[in-house]
Amino acid sequence: MKVTLFITCIVDMFQADVGKATVEVLERLGCDIKFPMGQVCCGQPAYNSGYVEESKDAMKKMITTFENAEIIVTPSGSCATMFKEYQRIFHNDPVWRPRAERLAVKTYELTEFIVHVLGVENIGAKLNGVATYHPSCHMTRLLGVKDAPMTLLQNVEGLRFEPLPNAHNCCGFGGTFSVKMGNISEQMVDEKVDSAEQTGADFLIGADGGCLMNIGGRIERRGKPIRVMHIAEVLNSR
Amino acid sequence: MIYQRESFLNNVARQLGRSRNISVRPERNWQFRPQDKTLTDKTPDELMNVLRDQCRLIHTELIETTSSRLAEILEATVHLYGGGPISLWKDPRFTEFGLDGLLKETWPLHNVEVNEWDPSCGRENITQAERANIGITFSDITLAESGTVVLFSGAGKGRTVSLLPRSYIALVPKSTIVPRMTQAAQEISRRVQAGETISSCINFITGPSNSADIEMNLVVGVHGPVKAAYIVIEDR
Amino acid sequence: MAMKIGEGKFKENVNKNMEDTFMRGAVAGAQERLRTRRLDAAEELGNWEEWRSHGEEIRKHVLDNLDYYLHELAENLQKRGGHVFFAETADEATGYIREVVNANGGKKILKAKSMVTEEISLNQVLEQEGCKVIETDLGEYILQLDEHDPPSHIVAPALHKNKEQIRDVFSDKLDYKMTSKPEELALHARETLRQEFLTADIGITGCNFAIAESGSVGLVTNEGNAGLVSDLPKTQIAVMGMERIVPTFEEFEVLVGLLTRSAVGQKLTSYITALTGPREEGDADGPEEFHLVIVDNGRSKILGTEFQSVLQCIRCAACINVCPVYRHIGGHSYNSIYPGPIGAVLTPLLGGYDDFKDLPYASTLCAACTDACPVKIPLHELLHKHRQVIVEREGRAPISEKLAMKAFGLGAASNPMYAAGSKMAAAMMKPFTKNDRISSGPGPLKAWTEIREFPAPNKERFRDWFKQHEKGGGEQ
Repeated sequence: MKVTLFITCIVDMFQADVGKATVEVLERLGCDIKFPMGQVCCGQPAYNSGYVEESKDAMKKMITTFENAEIIVTPSGSCATMFKEYQRIFHNDPVWRPRAERLAVKTYELTEFIVHVLGVENIGAKLNGVATYHPSCHMTRLLGVKDAPMTLLQNVEGLRFEPLPNAHNCCGFGGTFSVKMGNISEQMVDEKVDSAEQTGADFLIGADGGCLMNIGGRIERRGKPIRVMHIAEVLNSR
Repeated sequence: MIYQRESFLNNVARQLGRSRNISVRPERNWQFRPQDKTLTDKTPDELMNVLRDQCRLIHTELIETTSSRLAEILEATVHLYGGGPISLWKDPRFTEFGLDGLLKETWPLHNVEVNEWDPSCGRENITQAERANIGITFSDITLAESGTVVLFSGAGKGRTVSLLPRSYIALVPKSTIVPRMTQAAQEISRRVQAGETISSCINFITGPSNSADIEMNLVVGVHGPVKAAYIVIEDR
Repeated sequence: MAMKIGEGKFKENVNKNMEDTFMRGAVAGAQERLRTRRLDAAEELGNWEEWRSHGEEIRKHVLDNLDYYLHELAENLQKRGGHVFFAETADEATGYIREVVNANGGKKILKAKSMVTEEISLNQVLEQEGCKVIETDLGEYILQLDEHDPPSHIVAPALHKNKEQIRDVFSDKLDYKMTSKPEELALHARETLRQEFLTADIGITGCNFAIAESGSVGLVTNEGNAGLVSDLPKTQIAVMGMERIVPTFEEFEVLVGLLTRSAVGQKLTSYITALTGPREEGDADGPEEFHLVIVDNGRSKILGTEFQSVLQCIRCAACINVCPVYRHIGGHSYNSIYPGPIGAVLTPLLGGYDDFKDLPYASTLCAACTDACPVKIPLHELLHKHRQVIVEREGRAPISEKLAMKAFGLGAASNPMYAAGSKMAAAMMKPFTKNDRISSGPGPLKAWTEIREFPAPNKERFRDWFKQHEKGGGEQ
């Protein structure tokens, strides 16, 4: 299957290993991967801060870049959600709205794509240890991808799962919120780190780069012995 | 009297971007009606089970009896709840269900004070209800799902009989049991639409009064009754 | 108490309140309990989404036809001998109520919990008239005794207080001598307030939903206090926000069920009362005079705008009970009687951006609120909408942020600029980088690195790796 990769700016710049794992996992599943070099940021940081006009150029650039893709896959629930939001943002724009609608229907988050499009539930991954999973807000609530990550993770050989207390609570990232409301964000991410620690897990797994950068950054600052992993990296372990 | 309605509602309509609508009842074309299929397939016995289970959750004692044993059961329940004074509605159903003997002979004989709501006595009724240990009313409609008795106020049917006494006993003819609030609401709406005058106070009472305002701890019995019991009477 | 409950700035309030460990523990515990109860109550219906959709369509329909239903409500209540006053402003509302109180020689006034009366500062107005105003909801009563401590939650107003604090308030103000057991405290309040109920001149309640077809006012409580407030005094005044109305008892039933399940996880609360005008001929209790005050106070300005859906709100607090921000900062930080996500949307609309422009940013847009709302208000979208208005229409964003976002617009959208910027990032960050981590970053990174490590930009960007990986096959 021909898959066009929307890698997200966070992965491109800060989490190249997640990008590599995504590629290797998809290639192992027989996908032929295209990566349009024209891709930039999806516009979410500015958009969520209220700068709708400022973010539209980035959105248009992304729509144009991915227009010819058959299927778009991205290792981020939040960025996939943003692609699907474009149609609402360009609701009153007769030119861009139909183009945004076409983009939305062919965009998939990575695990959703593997489970629901490829129909694969066991990817043959191996990783030894205890893990806990943080379900990211946009992926579960806005994109509606709830079960696919755990379906895949439960089939990883050697991995045992402990439920994360209050898993449904946001980690405190929220894009610019993490710096604009730093004091609140700190309390939120601390509770998340404490919850992860309570589980006794070796790995905290998530499916969104932003959340993982936040939780991981706080875990390192507090010197906790928990490794933060993107689900693509877990699925690529063998 | 109605004050300042015209300017107020003209402004509302203007904000909505149209002219005032006074005459054309808006069409209510609901896409969803989940209430029509909630508990509506249950038999009376199944509804009784629903009511029984629910009463456990709302700290309400549920007693089931027949018309013939009602007087005996009510007497025992009142005794268990500490006896009189009793405040009750002036309601022909007490006679219909064979309670005259208990009300007018047995209790007075045992010095249990019984005060029937009497509109001609005005505020004295409230004083009596406030002094009462137990308030007793019939249920006009009973909601199985939530364990609710619906009381329509009226001349002999004081509002405070169910609220001021320390304990409250509702007599529930089994024929008053409906699945849920939906059916009571439909009946009330039907009466309104038929031009009937509905009671100035319709109370939906679900167990005793309670509060969780102190550290989220449930305290049963705050302003209203501390205890509640429903006596369900087999009447069909 | 007006809508605004203090003078402090949002950030200062947050920093102060986050020090209150009891409050934070209480809020977290309450959230977990209420969330679970709500989910259980929704689950047992089996088709919660259908109920939510029905709730939403009812609320939308009512708002779209608000003039019709309010007209009908007033007509029907008048037929039953009630008086209806339409108040465009808080002053008009309190002015009318003051007149009714004075005309009836009212000195002692009992109140059942009502957010709209808080909003219009009714208690202060009546106290200035020399009236004794007594709140009867246990939580509100505690706050009133404690020198008018503001509510921190719209359903459980005294959530932030522990039982020892409450015992101290009772000892201080009521000569209470028992322990801090909730049962003993509640019993004492019951006994004290019972005497007040019997001797009050005026009862004032809010209105959860008015019912247009019959001119009724619907009240929802667990304590039974609204019943006593309306049954015992000679005069009753109900005060409602103008949007709190339904066409008929059928819709009343649906919304009451959504409210009680969402607020406290109960199928119905202990007391739901539909009052229609004053007592009838022959009744021996109930008010002899009945007044309904319908309050606009800024609501009509929301109608017909992109924020209209906020008026669908039924005040259940489900959004507050799931909000991870409220969880840590508590209700008082919002500086409004309406806290949490609903407060962060509604307060700036009713109270203006001058005082409340920080509130829409007190959210990660995690959408837990939207998910929990029983009438499907898109709360996180409305928070975002506020941000857009603040930036674009109000021009209130900080200059530095505007410049940064301008740069973002140029940088992110332009491929060469994005490519150059992302490529240079590793080199630029090198002085701050140690072991692939940035612990103390410059500029905008400072706020991030005060709290957490920031990853050093990849030496080799993903796209560079991919080019190698594909050996030239990557470019389309």
